[in-house]
Amino acid sequence: MTARAAPTSSGQARRRSPLAAESRWAWLFLAPTLIGLAILSAGPIIAAFAISLTKWDLLTAPKFVGLDNFAALLADHRFQTAIRNTVFYTVTSVPIGLVIGLGLALALNQRLRGIAWIRTAYFLPVVTSTVAISLVWSWIYSPDSGPLNAVLGFIGLPPQKWITDPFWAMPSIVAMSVWQGLGTTVIIFLAGLQAIPQEYLDAASVDGAGAWARFRNVTLPLLTPSIFFTGILALIDSFQVFDQIYVLARPGRPSDATVTLVYTIYENGFQNFKMGYAAAAAWILFLIVAVLTIVYFRLQNRWVHYQ
Amino acid sequence: MFAMSTRTRIAAVGAMVSLLVGACGGAASPSPSPNPSAAGPSSEASANASASPAAPSPTPYAGPATTIEYSIWGDPTELKNQQAIVNSFHAAEPRITVKVTVSDWEPYWDKLQTLLAGGAAPDVFAMDGPLFPDYAGRDVLLDLSSYIQAESYPLSSLADLAVKDFATSDGRQMGLPRDLNVIALFYNKKMFDAAGIPYPDDSWDWNKLIEVGKKLTLDKNKDGKIDQWGLYTETTDMENYWSSLVWQNGGDILAPDGKTTVLDSPGATGGLQFLQDLIWKHKIVPDPALFAETGDAFEQGKAAMEINGSWLVATDEAAGLSFGIAPIPAGPAGRVTSINPTGAVVYKGTKSPDAAWVFVKYLASPAAQQKIMALKASLPVNKEVLAGPYSTSFDGAKVLADALAYAHIKPSFKGYNEFTTELQAELDEHVFNAPDESAAEAVAKVKDKLNSILASQ
Repeated sequence: MTARAAPTSSGQARRRSPLAAESRWAWLFLAPTLIGLAILSAGPIIAAFAISLTKWDLLTAPKFVGLDNFAALLADHRFQTAIRNTVFYTVTSVPIGLVIGLGLALALNQRLRGIAWIRTAYFLPVVTSTVAISLVWSWIYSPDSGPLNAVLGFIGLPPQKWITDPFWAMPSIVAMSVWQGLGTTVIIFLAGLQAIPQEYLDAASVDGAGAWARFRNVTLPLLTPSIFFTGILALIDSFQVFDQIYVLARPGRPSDATVTLVYTIYENGFQNFKMGYAAAAAWILFLIVAVLTIVYFRLQNRWVHYQ
Repeated sequence: MFAMSTRTRIAAVGAMVSLLVGACGGAASPSPSPNPSAAGPSSEASANASASPAAPSPTPYAGPATTIEYSIWGDPTELKNQQAIVNSFHAAEPRITVKVTVSDWEPYWDKLQTLLAGGAAPDVFAMDGPLFPDYAGRDVLLDLSSYIQAESYPLSSLADLAVKDFATSDGRQMGLPRDLNVIALFYNKKMFDAAGIPYPDDSWDWNKLIEVGKKLTLDKNKDGKIDQWGLYTETTDMENYWSSLVWQNGGDILAPDGKTTVLDSPGATGGLQFLQDLIWKHKIVPDPALFAETGDAFEQGKAAMEINGSWLVATDEAAGLSFGIAPIPAGPAGRVTSINPTGAVVYKGTKSPDAAWVFVKYLASPAAQQKIMALKASLPVNKEVLAGPYSTSFDGAKVLADALAYAHIKPSFKGYNEFTTELQAELDEHVFNAPDESAAEAVAKVKDKLNSILASQ
């Protein structure tokens, strides 16, 4: 504005400069995202931090308590359980999801009749609501009339109580989530696989590389950017696991075995009238995910190969 | 690009809480009325003067025409039922239009809290007895005492325990009960007839329950799996059965001053232990895991008896069961059952307090109570309806109505949700689903935590 109003020659020059014009356009195009981020993300993040320093029940005026909420959280048995469960969920669901996803992508990376339909089928769970999926799986896991125990019985294994059994509850939820998330992983891996030039593989073949050697030395290294990308998505998603727990961990199910970080945030904020406490938990979650993300990015040049 | 999408995603959760609050605070104006005249100055003036209502009007409502919002939890059937009551209200009070909004149980409370925080709460909303202190103690409900005094509204015409459940400890009446539920014994007549066993009656006690329960727990096809259970109940909330057992054994959940839990007394743990024994020692109640996903075994015709709430009347009838109702079996310290009322409360920030009060009053009136009665999903709270038409409205209704005489109210205190989540997680994992552990040990483990929750309120 000021530049435009000023009738100086430098102002004229700046206006004519193609670079300045371009950067104006760039800011214009970036504006919706930046404004959205500032209002919908940065604002609430800062607000949540402010709330985390208070004792606030949502309905009456907040009271400043300093870092009391953080201190109380560190001593809270249920919060510790939630961290343990969330870490368990992450260290199982992320690698298992990646390995199965990679295997499936390799299998689906074929020129077969109807392959598009098969790929679509694997993607269906991704676009289905988690609530619907959870309800179907709670039937699959039903100890009395569920098909899973029926299959186990058929092959002579004893029935299990799955989500009502403290030992099996979390693995059951992990299995469901892996199944549900496979579609995303497979799609990204398929795209990664199809971006690998056939000449590389041909050249490796000419040099005498077998199928395993081609996979190990050509396909896998060139797929590392895709693995990196799906890995970070899965890592962050898994720390935020909530819907499955909300639907599956109903009263009467072993809630100590399945309670997760985001679930305790919900529980404290909306059921226990402890919004300050919940905001503090949300900030701890934020810090955990931020540190893991930074470490993950720092480590990428050790194993990620860009073409 | 990665960094940015990462941050967005983290932000989504990291700030979920404040985002919701913030969004609601800035959202839609709190006026529940599409009619501009409704929110006119006169109704606002009366909101400010609500401490001393100028013109108390028993009938009909004389204020400006207005629209109020009435929020309830429930399913589409519940919505239909409440809508029918609202329609008859509108016929009686044409100047007041009531808009009913419904949510499922859990989202109902999430939504209510954010709407209250944002100053946009519904004018009238349903309140669960046990959660009342958490709202009444936070200055968001309208004190109805002045209306009650000005009109000499007869509170004694409603079930006393239920009325008391919506009053604060210092006697302010901040809601009226709308309906209530009571715990009783439901039995499948065909299964009793097939076994040649007389139907349960008011002579039953714990021993009789075990004795008959064993006779009716059957593996008919001899495959080693029980296909008819003697008794079904739910273990996941104190109301379904276990609080009654605690009381029937001389125990209680909280000390009389409400400041500590006395669930570790031998009477209380004995009551909890009895339920564990029914499942794992006497094996007449199914392992809770078996029906956790598929629902009520009694309703499915897989159990001969069920101890649970009066809401079963409507669902069991819909399921086509031939069933009867008997009093809950007595324990060593006598016969005690649990009642839990649902009430209607008024938002303190409502623009139409007079109209809201007229509506709340109507919900407890004989006209509305007869409609509630006909639905059979709960009991009316109006004594006249309860003792008169309700008692003869179906087979067993009198048993339910009479149960109020030996009922305790479901515990209701500040911090109820946090207390019961902690307690129930322990009981589920270490009592009702754990054949080898004892109720006394489980309660001893959580006692300190429970007391600290009570102390922090």
